[in-house]
Amino acid sequence: MQRSTGRCVRLVALVAIGLLAIGRGWAGARGFLREAAANPPPSLTATPGLIPFAKGSLAKLKSSDAAEIKVGLDDARLSAKAALPAVPVIIDLLQNGLPFSLVESAIDALGDIESEQASATLSFYARHRSVVIRRSAVKALVRTKGTLAVKVLRTALSDEDGMVRGVAAIGLGTLHAKDALGDLFLALDHRVNEAAVSIGELCGSNECDSLEGRLGRVPFDVITSGLDPLLFRPPVEVSDDAKVKLIGRLRELGTAEANKFLRDTEARWPKSGSERVKRALQQGIQATAGGARSGGS
Amino acid sequence: MRARLAFAWMLAVVACGGGQTRPNLFSTDWSDDGGQSIEAVRVQMGGARVPIGADVAIGVTGNLDTIVGLPLGGGARWKFGPHRLEARPLVASDVVIGCGGGELFALDAATGKRLWATPTGTLALHGAGDDGSVTVVTMSSVTGTGATLLAVARDGSVLRRIETDKDLGTPAVLARTAFVPWGNQYVTALDLASGAEVGRILLRERTSRAWTTGGGLYFGEVGLFRLDEHIKDSAKNQASHLALPTRELPGSPRLMAPGDERLAPTSSAPDKIRLYARPSRPNGPFTFDDDRFYATYFKLVMGFTTDKGSLAWVHTHSSDVIAGAAANGGVVICDAEGKVSVLAAKTGGLVAEFDFGEPLKSCVVQVDGFTPTGVAQDSGPFAKQLERALENGDLELATAQRLLLRELATLADEEATKTLIDIASDPRTSPALLGDARAELAGRRNGARFMLEALGRHYDFLKDVLRGPPVGPLAQALGAMNEKGAAPLLASHLLDPADTDDDVMRAAAALVLLGSSAEVPAMRQFFAMYRDAPDDPAEIPEAVVSVGQTLLRLDGSAGRATVESALAHPFANSMAKAKLRAIVAAADAEKTVQTGPAKR
Repeated sequence: MQRSTGRCVRLVALVAIGLLAIGRGWAGARGFLREAAANPPPSLTATPGLIPFAKGSLAKLKSSDAAEIKVGLDDARLSAKAALPAVPVIIDLLQNGLPFSLVESAIDALGDIESEQASATLSFYARHRSVVIRRSAVKALVRTKGTLAVKVLRTALSDEDGMVRGVAAIGLGTLHAKDALGDLFLALDHRVNEAAVSIGELCGSNECDSLEGRLGRVPFDVITSGLDPLLFRPPVEVSDDAKVKLIGRLRELGTAEANKFLRDTEARWPKSGSERVKRALQQGIQATAGGARSGGS
Repeated sequence: MRARLAFAWMLAVVACGGGQTRPNLFSTDWSDDGGQSIEAVRVQMGGARVPIGADVAIGVTGNLDTIVGLPLGGGARWKFGPHRLEARPLVASDVVIGCGGGELFALDAATGKRLWATPTGTLALHGAGDDGSVTVVTMSSVTGTGATLLAVARDGSVLRRIETDKDLGTPAVLARTAFVPWGNQYVTALDLASGAEVGRILLRERTSRAWTTGGGLYFGEVGLFRLDEHIKDSAKNQASHLALPTRELPGSPRLMAPGDERLAPTSSAPDKIRLYARPSRPNGPFTFDDDRFYATYFKLVMGFTTDKGSLAWVHTHSSDVIAGAAANGGVVICDAEGKVSVLAAKTGGLVAEFDFGEPLKSCVVQVDGFTPTGVAQDSGPFAKQLERALENGDLELATAQRLLLRELATLADEEATKTLIDIASDPRTSPALLGDARAELAGRRNGARFMLEALGRHYDFLKDVLRGPPVGPLAQALGAMNEKGAAPLLASHLLDPADTDDDVMRAAAALVLLGSSAEVPAMRQFFAMYRDAPDDPAEIPEAVVSVGQTLLRLDGSAGRATVESALAHPFANSMAKAKLRAIVAAADAEKTVQTGPAKR
């Protein structure tokens, strides 16, 4: 349950990045992350049925008509993993050249099909001059996975575009790229706030301490976006001792926002989760209630 | 009661001979006497020694009510005030003249001791001269038209008071004769004993100032005229005259403010944008000391040669320079933080520094006998001096920096190339300067090692490289230098999304000349990704054409197939297709010419 909750947080985080792009800003995206994590939509947890990819759709991809190609790409997106036979054709299209509008659709289709064989081609487009195409390529790489995808996402943390950096940071968490923790901390220190989530998902004992150590230096909502997944990780990855210690640090803050975070966490705490951690959360809520009443932060 | 007494005293002064106004004084109803009268005055003054003035910096501090003096030749810093100041204090010979609170007062420039004061009502001070025993001041009325001249002895007695409807400039005094510029072209020699005009100079250049320095007496504003044996021919434009060479300078600085301009107690932009120069000697060839004149522009101080106006050095100061004076062997500058620095005339190196100990509202510097002693600090090579000035991020300096950048570009050494690269790569560089630096860089033909080193860098957010190198200009320069080592670096920039469209276009154009088979994979990738690019921005289809051309040259039949595939491709950019088609046709035609004779 804890594992699936963590996965859900990652998926929702990607959506939150989209919200950032449409102007809701970090606070809006964070709010969305929290709400979505508390109430995961059914479609994210259920396995969707696959729509078969028709031979006709494959033929459309080989057309010289842009509209036909677009229909073929849309079909591939709908079929998702079932459109695996289309991958070599789409790769071929991208390697030979397409109008920019179709490039984006082709990349999105490869992302939806989730075939690692597309990662190499997508890696080229992660350096495209069009920022829209770069964003699509980085998002798609998170889904096609593989060593190359991790390498490209690490490079994308240095992209000129904040959105590309954000998607890459979240994606590295999704791909369990523990080797990228150093880069993620560097990114967090460069205000790539999305890096906090991935650090919270990936950190070992020392890195988790390092993340906690940024409490007070990094905006509270940014740091808690990393502490949240950290608290929900299984005890084999993050011990109850470490979680209780972290709750203690939050409790010491005594602020209204610390109280709110602890309350939110306690409300979502799984029934099968550690009782000790739950008690620590409850005590923390009590101890920080004063801050909540006074509205201090 | 005190005010009434002062008024009564003024009336007494006017009535008792201090204030006779001669009707013929400053009259334009005057016939040119061919210089006879002024020559007579000059001869009569003969051996009169021009006193050497105090070497001092004067600052206004506090609430514009305190004058601080800093003797440069030794002596303790002094302070006078609080006293209301309605104009910036002036220094003449060894006195400091101030005006405010309804009175004019004089201080000993060496000690700050009050020498005398005289009531002046609402008159505002704008000019002063002194010969060691008499101070002559010119003041303007509140209405702004006309002027009042006062001659005051050291004991405070008013020797002469003249009111006129003419605007009088800044006077000088020598041997009890006042030299008073007026009407922007005349200088009247006024006998202070009789109050009569004993001579007149007609000058053929705007003149509103008279002053003494280095033992000589001078007139001018735009340029300088010397009182010597040629002064009698001034109306024929044959007086000894000295002017600064004409050259472009930032902010159109002036050598001297108009002599009838009242300067406010606080400094403003014109005080920070100034020229300073000092005439060499009262006898012999009329030149500028040290073959130098100096220009200030906020934090920048520049030394120029006086023959051609060439920039000899540039000094970047820590704060705005608000006053200065040229000395024999250097220039003395006074800054807003209260530091007075002496820079060597030849190199601009710091020779000495004095400190007011507090920030200044305004400053006045007078140096006469002062000659900097001591060894000047090493100001480094000229290119380094320019680099320091250009790397200063103060936006106020942009105009001067553009000029300095052009100066830098004239230097043939490789360090200048490196500086241009650094400026063009610095994210803090202003857009105007960036454009200039890129343009100059494209024309460089040396410093290839610095160019290659720069091309090795790319935009990197996490490494805080927030502006990539100036790829386009470097590509153009390296292409012109046929620097083949640039090819792999240029190819890597083809695929860097942080580079500008212009950079990509010029990198691709340089690869036409420099590219080798090693760059083919990167060029193939670029061609595939952008051959279908939209028409806007136009630079990318242009780059596609260059890359296609290079692939045709380097990639054999595969390159030909790549280009022909694009020509047949319905989505490929139409402009790029047209140009590539022409290139292919030209290549085919050339091949036919080459293979034709062989077939025969």
